[in-house]
Amino acid sequence: MIIEVNNLVKRYGDLTAVDHLSLAVNDGEVFGLLGPNGSGKTTTINCILSLLEYDQGEIEIFGQPMTPESYNIKRDIGIVMQNVAVYNELTVYENIDYFCGLYIPNNKLRKKLVLEAIDFVGLDEYSKFYPKKLSGGLLRRLNIACGIAHKPKLIILDEPTVAVDPQSRNKILEGILELNRQGATIIYTSHYMEEVEHICSRIMILDKGKAIATGTNGELKAMINMGEKITVQSNYMSAEQLAKISQLPNIVSAEHNSPLLVIKSSRGTNNLETVLDFIKKERIQHSKIYSELPTLNDVFLELTGKELRD
Amino acid sequence: MQVFRLCLKILKKQIPSMLIYIIIFLAIALIMSSATANEQQQDNSFTRAKSNMALISEENTPLIDGFKQELGKVANFVELPDDHEALQDALYFRSVSYILRVPEGFTESFMQGENVQLEKTIVPNSISNTYIDLCIDQYFNTARLYVQQMENISQESLVQYLKSDLAVGASVELKTVSDQSVNHNYANYYFNYLSYSLLSVLILGMAALMLVFYDSELKRRNACSPLSSKSVNLQFILAILVFTVLSCLIMVTFCILFNFKNSLNLNTVYFIINSFVFAVCGAGISFLIGNLVKSHNAIPAISNVVTLGLCFISGVFVPLELLGNTAIKIASFTPTYWFVKANNQIAELTQFGFADVEPIFSSMLIQIGFALAFFAAALVVNKKRRFD
Amino acid sequence: MFAHIFIYRLKCLLRDKETIFWTLLFPLLLAVFFNIAFANLNKGEIFKAIDIAIVDDVNYQSNQYFKTALNEASQGDDRLFNLTVASKEKADQLLINNSISGYIVVENPINLVVNRSGLNPNIIKSFIDNYMQTVSSVNSILLADPAKQQELLSSLGNRQQYIKEISGTAAEPNNILNYFYTLIAMACFYGGFLGMREITDIQADISPLAARINVAPVHKLKTIISSMSASLLIHLTEMLLLLIFLRFVLQVDFGSKIGFVILTTVIGSIAGVTFGALISALVKKSEGIKVAILIGVTMFGSFLAGMMYQNMKYIVAQKIPVLSYLNPVNLLTDAFYCLYYYDTFSRYALNMGILSIFIVIFCVGTYSIIRRRKYASL
Repeated sequence: MIIEVNNLVKRYGDLTAVDHLSLAVNDGEVFGLLGPNGSGKTTTINCILSLLEYDQGEIEIFGQPMTPESYNIKRDIGIVMQNVAVYNELTVYENIDYFCGLYIPNNKLRKKLVLEAIDFVGLDEYSKFYPKKLSGGLLRRLNIACGIAHKPKLIILDEPTVAVDPQSRNKILEGILELNRQGATIIYTSHYMEEVEHICSRIMILDKGKAIATGTNGELKAMINMGEKITVQSNYMSAEQLAKISQLPNIVSAEHNSPLLVIKSSRGTNNLETVLDFIKKERIQHSKIYSELPTLNDVFLELTGKELRD
Repeated sequence: MQVFRLCLKILKKQIPSMLIYIIIFLAIALIMSSATANEQQQDNSFTRAKSNMALISEENTPLIDGFKQELGKVANFVELPDDHEALQDALYFRSVSYILRVPEGFTESFMQGENVQLEKTIVPNSISNTYIDLCIDQYFNTARLYVQQMENISQESLVQYLKSDLAVGASVELKTVSDQSVNHNYANYYFNYLSYSLLSVLILGMAALMLVFYDSELKRRNACSPLSSKSVNLQFILAILVFTVLSCLIMVTFCILFNFKNSLNLNTVYFIINSFVFAVCGAGISFLIGNLVKSHNAIPAISNVVTLGLCFISGVFVPLELLGNTAIKIASFTPTYWFVKANNQIAELTQFGFADVEPIFSSMLIQIGFALAFFAAALVVNKKRRFD
Repeated sequence: MFAHIFIYRLKCLLRDKETIFWTLLFPLLLAVFFNIAFANLNKGEIFKAIDIAIVDDVNYQSNQYFKTALNEASQGDDRLFNLTVASKEKADQLLINNSISGYIVVENPINLVVNRSGLNPNIIKSFIDNYMQTVSSVNSILLADPAKQQELLSSLGNRQQYIKEISGTAAEPNNILNYFYTLIAMACFYGGFLGMREITDIQADISPLAARINVAPVHKLKTIISSMSASLLIHLTEMLLLLIFLRFVLQVDFGSKIGFVILTTVIGSIAGVTFGALISALVKKSEGIKVAILIGVTMFGSFLAGMMYQNMKYIVAQKIPVLSYLNPVNLLTDAFYCLYYYDTFSRYALNMGILSIFIVIFCVGTYSIIRRRKYASL
């Protein structure tokens, strides 16, 4: 077990930011913390890192309790903060070298690690640049390099892709997976579900400081009683036809808001075929028909009754 | 009036920083007012400020006794032990500004017509010390006349002669047109110092305003809005104007509050007019700086260099009379110099005919000229910046 | 680890233009301003001839002695008066306009008409008094022995100086020095900009950068000591540059105890840097507010120590003596002046003692705030 959090509570005055949260991260995982802004992701991370005081709960990293003085634990953690945290007066190389130097006293080894980190985030051409001259995406990559240059066993990335262009974002995500392949355990927080779906092996969904679901991508989707969502573009149908659709086998609900008919089915096979047959039979005017598998957004919507995107 | 309101909102955010300057200024003004309070009474009659001195006499003779009496007319004696450190301390803390030592054997040598001297240790540049110097030299020079001309004159009769000689003096007629109970020293100080804080506040506010307002993104958005650029500019100017007038008004009001009994006269009106003229000039300087400054961090730096620089070399902190010719020459190229000069002239005004106030108005005109120059320069910079 | 942090701190701070401006350029600029403004005070060219008028009437024209004396005083480069001979009406007008400081009417006794008290009217009066007193003495002597007339006239002309100035101390009392000493004290306290940055860069609840430092496996005290050392080194170097500039370019006199002057600067520098650290730790507001507080407090302290108005220092010392001991800028200014002025060290030691207490307060205050390794909120 890399991280174990037990019953964590953090309050800001009347507001409970983290509400009796427990989580466990296993060795070699990419663990995703997913939730809308304000759901308590960053607060949880800061508590895990012993930056924040918390009201209740226990936190263990690498099997030892985490305190501000746990330097042995800290030595093996790499952290990429939500806000870009670099020195404006230092160049790209110097920034990475400085932060790396807080972990690695050996100069030779450090030099090698810093060059590797620069190469890893693709900043080779920019190593003499000052942060002010870097674009948003490059700055984010520098921010990441500063956190991971010392090759930590545990890497915590707190929304590293906010306000990043698609190319940089892909580069960053691929990099995270590469780090994982090299053996690092990763905690990744985001409110972009596609990212989380894409890279995380296990996901915890947070809302209002509470864990509302934990599991693999598939497990999460399995939690909700939804197989597929069939959408039919149709301008008109009678109330009678609508009622009949919802009574078809495996169909959970059908709603018609002209011009869209949205049919949700529970798990099962041939659901689309049944619907198509019915439409043909009833001669319902239609144009496009398409079917989608549920997304994490649907999971979130189902569990909390609200959209994940904010 | 959206733009106008936006400007005021931006300025409001600067209030905490500006307030620090205003509070410090007012604290200084209060201290000055208590410090000058003592000077207020003296002007009804012709007086000499008596300074405190210590007379340490190593001998006791009739000549020195008479001298002491004479000296008492221009100085207050403070008893001090004849101890090196105590004397140093006394000078250092200005409990006396003059220490005079009569060496042993002085009288004897003097009576024999020898050239002898008393020893003084003083606080330099203290004006009242000049009177003591004059008094001592006069006493012994007069005494020397008698010693030279009347052989074997006794100390006692010498002192008698001196006493009657030194009793004569010019009669002084104090001729004033205005009410002498009014004293403009404080107002003069206050308004001179006002240039420092007013300028600080104006630069801080204006530069912050310009930074936000001329931020390229925001400017582009404004340019896309259906408001005519004329209307935007007019509202902007209106906001600057309101800000300038308000800042000036606040500081002027406090002067009148602190110094109410000396404020109900025409001089105050002139002080206020001069301050507003200077405020316009300050607005020009700030506008120019606002056009030049590129980052928020640079604002306090520029503001401090400009305000302290102007105030030190143009007579706000160091009185104009004490500035060297070079300094005055440099200073005359700054608006603060003309502001201070006008203030000093206003403080001396006792009559308000055209001829009396003319030099004041010309100082104000020069300030307005500076204001126009600053605004013109700012517009040039602004235009250049727009094309960048 | 110490070297690693120390060297990178040096790099960071030396490239921070704003901090370098406040801690080095600003005091240098101010020193130049001072030098321009006080150039004259040094040379003592202060006296300017006084504008006066004499009422041109029969009495004046017939009083040959006074006429001669007055004309003599109004001639030459070092003349006392700029004399205008005018009618009474004209003289009145000139006085009302403030074109002259006063006018003289030859009557018995001689009458001086002025419109206020002050230095110039007093000098005019002294001149007339001296004239009249000498006339009185001459009359007394001639009354006793009329034969002396010739001899008397010749000895009248050579007046003697009966006072010589001796320095009661190690050095001449000097008013301009205090201005430069307050400037050094101010520059010491602007070292606060460095201390301020140190705290901002290490307190996770102030900057995200600091949060990153906080999760690194380095003890916080070690981090702060390493980076504070870098700040102090930079500030001390800057202060030395300032001292060198003042001493050798502007020729400011520091007295003979150079070693102590440097020691005082070191202590002042520490006081300034720790002062900034305390402000930064205490005030959790924006950078702008912190800077405004640092500048404001330092400027106010400098004002009370006499930076803008020299006598302020003595007004404070006489009216509110406690304040002169509670104002660290004044303590520092005073310490420099003591080194220059006093032979003994007692007063200097008192200043440095109180200043050291301030340093302890700044350090303990700062440490008690940053000691917390966990934060209530970020």
